[in-house]
Amino acid sequence: MDTIKRVFISLGSLDRRIIFLIVGLSVLIPLLKPEWVSLPIRPRPESQIVFNEINKLNEGDKVLLSFEYGPSTKPEIHPMAIAILKHLYAKNIQVYGFALWPDGNFMSTEAFSEVSHQYEKEYGIDYVNLGYKPGAEAVVKGIAADIRALYTVDLKGTPIEDIPMMKDVINVNSFDFVFSLSAGFPGSTEWVQYACDPKNIPLSTGVTSIMVTDILPYVENGQILGLLAGMPGAAEYESLVEAELKRMDITGIPGKASGMMAAQSIAHVVIVLFIIFGNITYYIIRNKNGKDKI
Amino acid sequence: MISAEIISAWFVVLLTLSIFSFLYKDNPFYKAAEHLYVGVSAGYVAVISFWQQVQPNLFGRLWPSRAAVDDGSVFQSFWYAIYEFFNLISTGFGVLDRSIFPKGGIIGFGEIRMIYLIPFILGIFMLLRLVPKLGWLARWAIAYIVGMAAGLRFYGFLNSNVLNQIKASAINFTSDWGTIINSLIIFIGTLSGLIYFFYSTEHKGVVGRLSRIGIYFLMIKFGASFGFAVMGRISLLIGRINDLKDYSSSEYHYATPVILIFIIICLAIWSFIGEKDRNESIA
Amino acid sequence: MLLKRHIPLIIVIGVGLLTLFGHFINNDSIQAFVDKDALQWFDIIASFAVFLGALNMLKLQIIKIIKKQKNWQYSILAVIGFVFAIFAGFFYRGANFITLSDVKDAHLAVVSEIVSKELKEPNPYAIQTKIAATKTDFEIDKIYITSESANVVIEKLKPYVGTIELRSKPWGTHVQTKGSLFYWMFINIITPLGATMFALLAFFVASASYRAFRIRNFEATLLLVAGIILMLGRVPIGGLIPWWTVSIMIIFGIGAVAAPFIKKRSLLLGLMGGGSFIIFVFGAYMGWNQNPPKLLSIPYIQDWIFAYPTMAGSRALMIGIALGIVATSFRIIIGLDKSFLGDK
Repeated sequence: MDTIKRVFISLGSLDRRIIFLIVGLSVLIPLLKPEWVSLPIRPRPESQIVFNEINKLNEGDKVLLSFEYGPSTKPEIHPMAIAILKHLYAKNIQVYGFALWPDGNFMSTEAFSEVSHQYEKEYGIDYVNLGYKPGAEAVVKGIAADIRALYTVDLKGTPIEDIPMMKDVINVNSFDFVFSLSAGFPGSTEWVQYACDPKNIPLSTGVTSIMVTDILPYVENGQILGLLAGMPGAAEYESLVEAELKRMDITGIPGKASGMMAAQSIAHVVIVLFIIFGNITYYIIRNKNGKDKI
Repeated sequence: MISAEIISAWFVVLLTLSIFSFLYKDNPFYKAAEHLYVGVSAGYVAVISFWQQVQPNLFGRLWPSRAAVDDGSVFQSFWYAIYEFFNLISTGFGVLDRSIFPKGGIIGFGEIRMIYLIPFILGIFMLLRLVPKLGWLARWAIAYIVGMAAGLRFYGFLNSNVLNQIKASAINFTSDWGTIINSLIIFIGTLSGLIYFFYSTEHKGVVGRLSRIGIYFLMIKFGASFGFAVMGRISLLIGRINDLKDYSSSEYHYATPVILIFIIICLAIWSFIGEKDRNESIA
Repeated sequence: MLLKRHIPLIIVIGVGLLTLFGHFINNDSIQAFVDKDALQWFDIIASFAVFLGALNMLKLQIIKIIKKQKNWQYSILAVIGFVFAIFAGFFYRGANFITLSDVKDAHLAVVSEIVSKELKEPNPYAIQTKIAATKTDFEIDKIYITSESANVVIEKLKPYVGTIELRSKPWGTHVQTKGSLFYWMFINIITPLGATMFALLAFFVASASYRAFRIRNFEATLLLVAGIILMLGRVPIGGLIPWWTVSIMIIFGIGAVAAPFIKKRSLLLGLMGGGSFIIFVFGAYMGWNQNPPKLLSIPYIQDWIFAYPTMAGSRALMIGIALGIVATSFRIIIGLDKSFLGDK
């Protein structure tokens, strides 16, 4: 027993670089050897709701897809963007890309180019990318009022009037659904407050893990329909979309988030163990100090 | 022949590992990468804001394509002469190609909106913050931004974050027992959480007990936030390590292991020299 | 005083009231101004604020270099980075592309072979079909940063194509075009640096969890337990944790809550051990090894904690923060809050 206590006490003063190394290895090893850890992905209720809402849409419906993330949050949100696009394209839904972050331009360009070619979707007919405008909530309010006041050309410099699928699009009311891929401000909250709530347009969102608890009240209330929460949410949605594409006899490239769930799981277990060991060490040292004082 | 793609990949790996080197300690690799990021990001955001907003939506409204608006008036000729003057300055008096002010006006809007001189002037005032004697002019521009943001947020937050949320806290007593109990938990949690933040009365007696319950709900919320924060950070780390793993293949000439060894050797030498200097200064 | 204080206050009050009442006034011209022009002005002035931030950063770094303050050498890199971004944005487009026209049928196969190699497209026939279908200029879907690299391809295609042109994307769109110099800067400098900065935090979170996260009181216990359940329940591994492990965790949790009330340590341990044994026997008898109950499944417990207590806390915070923002916005609109003027 004393030996165990001494081990815990020495672990209590572990150099933090050893902790960094352990965390790094807990992520690296499952990525190098994914076959060692194979875990089933079970969609959470919130992810299922997002899937169901998009599945309810019909061919020819218009969806506004807003990109509010950058390279720093790409691993969490980009897989969601890819999965959403696959789902929308498979159902022949028209996609309108917007961005509230400057980085969103590049993320949207990457996402569209990754998926559109695979589904033989044509720019200007099946999808269009209008890009970023600075101004945060003012931009959202502008889109809610009149898109043409904000956008005269799309991301490629083509005048809006020359794009066939922009013909009947005036403002946010022209869309059947809005999906926000959000990593912070401005993001889903602004879409709720300035566009979708006032205009009663169905909205769903995929957010970074850190934002989840802040967005939760909107989800519970139905102001946001469902929620894709971080990389696990992306993996869950990927699994739902892949099952649906299989059902529709459409083959595709598997998503990236699912392959990273093993690393995510192992890292979480390691951190939980760190917390438990840290607290055991704390209590042993506290009791020892208490006895020493006596 | 090493392609541009390979060189770019090696550059990416060097920058990534330079940032990760901070885990050892603050060092020249990290400082260099950090300063590069600061400079490039500032330039990047400025460029994007200009080309996405200022040029099409400000200059485009002040000087739209002349073909769409030409009425042959003297004022318009004078107005577009100012446009050409700005073009002359932006091209370094003809040295560079036309960029910001294309020939014949900016395609987009169909009429000249002189009222947009107001945001143009306010924008210039904003930039005058850099000039000590004229910095006070920026207050006018900031006042516009602050006033508009206040007006937007007043309505937005009141409607979506207060009224709709209070509405959602209502309990439907016609549903099943499980739903009623869960809804009661949400109602009590919300109310007690709000009572905790109410400082106009002392937290004693009933108020004290309710605010205690509120703290418990808030602690659960913070615990969940902590869990999600850990989840998010780990996800970002996985993404980065995944990219490094891809760059360690033979296709990229083993960029990751080579640069990692290079940085380790450099840091070892730097640490050794630093230790030697410290010992000498103590001696 | 008038120019430096009163006019900004008048602007704040006027614009604030106009924006707020714009939701309620049913007048076309006022609504059109509020919904379109006023918002556009906000966006434009916000862009100038971005320029101010960038120029201020540049000014600080240059001052650091001139005065040779600590670590001034690194500031040179910051200035170089900034200048590079401005160069790529305003002075060098680096967004060249090639267009082909008058491609004779006899040469279609050769041209599509060259183009497909350039685009790394495995199927040259798809390119051939596109070129044949394009009536006017066929644009090769690749961007060249330098005209020299584009000319290499042009030289290969010249013998087989009637008209071949090297063009550039228009100014403005070049910053968004995949393959341009600005795009290269975003992918190879901003992306790795930004992503890695955030990824670093994972290590510090782990270190903090080990060294600082302590159960000192009941509230901290609640926070910790909620965090752990969430971390395990949100990932696939949570579903693999067996029912008896969850039972032990619940029993230990109850023990931790009861500990202040049961002074005798041996009694407490005995109750916890006995409880665990009863649960194991009962579970085995009920066949929980094959069909565990939802209540002893981490993902299910996590779902409930997420949907109800966490939701309640989030809602309380959301309403509280919103009331604060509404109050502050109101104070700004009526001119009571003058902090933006720099007043204390």
